[in-house]
Amino acid sequence: MRRALLSRAAPMAAALLALALPAALAGPFHLRFLAEILLLGTAVMSLDLLVGSGGLVSLGHAALFGTAAYAAAVAALHLGGNLLLVLGAGTGAALLLAALMGVAIMRSSHLFLLILTLLLGQIAWEVAFHWRAVTGGADGLRGLPPLSLGPWRLDGPRALFLLAGGLALAAHALARSFVAAPIGRALVGAREQPLRMSALGYSTARIRLRAMLAAGGIAGAAGSLYPFLNLYVGPQSVHWSLSATMIIMLVIGGVGSLWGAFLGSAVYLALQTYVSAYTDRWQLFVGVIFVLIVLLLPHGLAGAAARWRRG
Amino acid sequence: MGMLHPRDALHPATLAPRPAAGRRQVLGGLAAALAGLPLAAPALAQAQPLRIGMITSLSGPFTALGESMRAGMQLLLAQSGNRLAGRPVEFLVEDDQARPEEGARRARKLIGQDRVDLLCGVISSGVALALRDVVTEARTPTFLLGSANDLARKAASPYIVRPTKTNWMLGSTAARWAREKLGGARVLTVASDYAAGREYVGDFVETYRQLGGRPGRTLWTPLGSADFGPLLTTIAAERPEAVYGFFAGSDAVRFLRQWQEYRLAGRVPLIGPGAFFDQEDVLPAVGDAALGAFSTFHQSPTAPASAAFNRAYMATGKPLPGEFSTTGYVCGQVIRALLERTGGTLADWEAARAALFGAPVETAFGTMPFDPRNGQAILDIHVNAVRRGEDGRMVNTVVHTYPQLRDPGPDA
Amino acid sequence: MGYAIVQVLNALSFSALLLLTGLGLSVVLSLMNFVNLAHGAFYLLGSYVAVLWLASGAPWWLAFPAAFLAAALAGALLERFPFRRFYARPHLMQVLLTYGISVILADLMRWGFGAQILTPELPAALRGVVFLFDMPFPLYRLFLIGVGAVLGLLLWLLLDRTLWGAALRAAVTDRGIVETLGIDTRRLFAAVLVLSAGLGGLSGALGAGMLAAYPGLDEEVLILALITVVVGGLGSFGGTVAGALVVGFALTFSKVWFPEFANVVAFSAMAGFLLLRPHGFVAPPLRQV
Repeated sequence: MRRALLSRAAPMAAALLALALPAALAGPFHLRFLAEILLLGTAVMSLDLLVGSGGLVSLGHAALFGTAAYAAAVAALHLGGNLLLVLGAGTGAALLLAALMGVAIMRSSHLFLLILTLLLGQIAWEVAFHWRAVTGGADGLRGLPPLSLGPWRLDGPRALFLLAGGLALAAHALARSFVAAPIGRALVGAREQPLRMSALGYSTARIRLRAMLAAGGIAGAAGSLYPFLNLYVGPQSVHWSLSATMIIMLVIGGVGSLWGAFLGSAVYLALQTYVSAYTDRWQLFVGVIFVLIVLLLPHGLAGAAARWRRG
Repeated sequence: MGMLHPRDALHPATLAPRPAAGRRQVLGGLAAALAGLPLAAPALAQAQPLRIGMITSLSGPFTALGESMRAGMQLLLAQSGNRLAGRPVEFLVEDDQARPEEGARRARKLIGQDRVDLLCGVISSGVALALRDVVTEARTPTFLLGSANDLARKAASPYIVRPTKTNWMLGSTAARWAREKLGGARVLTVASDYAAGREYVGDFVETYRQLGGRPGRTLWTPLGSADFGPLLTTIAAERPEAVYGFFAGSDAVRFLRQWQEYRLAGRVPLIGPGAFFDQEDVLPAVGDAALGAFSTFHQSPTAPASAAFNRAYMATGKPLPGEFSTTGYVCGQVIRALLERTGGTLADWEAARAALFGAPVETAFGTMPFDPRNGQAILDIHVNAVRRGEDGRMVNTVVHTYPQLRDPGPDA
Repeated sequence: MGYAIVQVLNALSFSALLLLTGLGLSVVLSLMNFVNLAHGAFYLLGSYVAVLWLASGAPWWLAFPAAFLAAALAGALLERFPFRRFYARPHLMQVLLTYGISVILADLMRWGFGAQILTPELPAALRGVVFLFDMPFPLYRLFLIGVGAVLGLLLWLLLDRTLWGAALRAAVTDRGIVETLGIDTRRLFAAVLVLSAGLGGLSGALGAGMLAAYPGLDEEVLILALITVVVGGLGSFGGTVAGALVVGFALTFSKVWFPEFANVVAFSAMAGFLLLRPHGFVAPPLRQV
């Protein structure tokens, strides 16, 4: 009992420490950079619910993330940057889109699903790119009001970092309980033995829809804070290439490991940000590292860490 | 080769391991200690390296343009012996991948971690607009080279200097040229459907109509079209008297080649902003498909002001320069002029800005005064015709110049 | 009249290009159940080789075999390592591996060929134009349509009408039995991958006249080819032909009728198609992956 409690409390304490240390020590650039890692990591973790548990590889995840970002930005431009309003608008928009996508992918699987989500995501991108009156088109929206909660302004790098950290912790708890809950087990079942699951009376379509909604809600919450890092949102945040980047982050971190998503986004963003300052060949570098991970660490860095801990 | 180490490419002094923060901190501490000695301060400013950060696209759709921009700036620094106004220069380059969020993060890195004294660069207007608030909040002097009209209007900032054109300058002059030379013919407009295309065509149509011309049908096509066949067949069926169009990069190359394949070249006059027929990026890839086309541009390899730069640039093994190599070079010229006027210090940006805007700068774009309202350069806009040069290559040749164009700015 | 005919020909020529790129992808997918996202890189390599070949002054028609060989060689090397180890792995792992390889190849090509946009100097024989009811149509596109049809036919004959093709199809169904007949299936699979890569290179050489060659084109082409193959139903031969026609006509006529919203319309049409037929045009027998 005590050991169980300890094994629960230890990661929690480690996570809190990991948030408290930078908040106290890091400079403004690094704080904001860490906030970006946490927000993208949260979105990647939500993608892991689909890929890791459900085997549903989506190339449309950025559409959920980016739609939330636009909804939050538009809400903030018109109604002010209240945190709850912004989170509500963004998450709501993402849930709506997730419901649509969930219905669309009900009968689809494997490569068909990959292409279908790619097409759906690109339709969302086209809308963001062309609906100039609302989204600002290719130039995006700038000059957003900073986030606020009641009397507090949340626009400093430290506030943004803590906000992103809080969101990541909450999302992680939510995702864990989703995986552990019957719905999470059913999702795995629908991936491994779809025939048996439907023979047992489960509806694969409904399971997928609920997984999509959970993933969409979490990605949407992360997406709704994303524009406030730079007080800007642009169509790249909806584009499929961001979806592909999320998959890369997921694989680097480790498919099936929720906290690996944060590790993956940290490693990817750090590689890209720091290596590219030294060489034009940074894509080669990232590509080689990615291939090595696929070849040598099929469960990503998180999987390797778990194996190492077990000895 | 090509394995240029971006930050070290030009100054052997830093080929040794980068001076760690340690030295800077020591210098910073010294500066603080000496702050009470007014006489010592300027001398110190002389010795302290000036850090210039450039944000440009070294991957993604604008890679070739970004490489040209960097090469232009590097050429100027090399010519200046890596010293501007007596201060040694450290030049740091970051890749924005033409993504606004990426550009914003790189700008924050250059400002917050590398502590640059000033920033420059940017090709994509989306990135430029995303950077606007970042650099304004950080109070970092920035030379932004994107060309969205808003950069000189709603998004103007006291910390931003714009030593390049706005889209309006090109769209409106093209309309004036078309009105004068084509006598108000029915001009069909066609462009990539994104911000720049919308601005060029919008400004062209508006000005053309004001001058009494008859704009024809407007066709939009998605950015990054693989095949222009269907569009060109539609244009051929419309039988326009002239076409004003805008595409960039690979779109421009495909459009122009197919323009020739569908036998529109030579039969329908083609006009566009200069980037459509960029000397470095587009013309070498399209053979004689663009021969006879007209464009309005602030850059031309045949403009007298560009001659010295052309020679120096081509001496480094590069082709005849196009927009972004010239822009990178001009940006360096403006930064050099600024530092020379302030004696090498940027401590008082208000004063430095006033000094820069007080008198025009001689650049490869010609004499360049600035509009103090928005920091926007006032530019000569050339009408370039694509002609066959002496060696058979296509050259953007100046046939007319609209002098000293000033963007309407915040009044628009 | 001429307008309608030329627009149909436009669609056909684009379909031919999609067919050429899609075929290489669908061959490995249908015969080996291997998803190769590096196919776009093979395409771009073929484009670069063709552009350089045509600029060199050597006989122009040799540019196409040269591009085929260059890409086939790259395919042969990659087949040895690491593709071979992934034939039996799930699609997700194949997608990840080959995507990573494509990133590496893309950057190597940018390093070697530069970031500039390159275009081939087409021979005079292909630069002509035909007029149909007074509307111009480039000869090169007729050439594309012809080559697409001929190559498709040849490939179909090879896989469907030769002993080699029969052995291959048998090896897909039951590798063990074919091995007991004394046929080396590893070499058989290697040959298919090399053929597929070569086809990618060849389509790159043919497509360069229409699409030019520049960094990033590999990804654009890959996406189009993937959509083609998936809409067609994952690589039955007829399916890929149908997919190329569906995608080619959707992309062309959306530009004719709704130029401003061309992509939205075309994407929606394709997505709608996949909603109605979740397993593509020609549904393959279900398989466990």
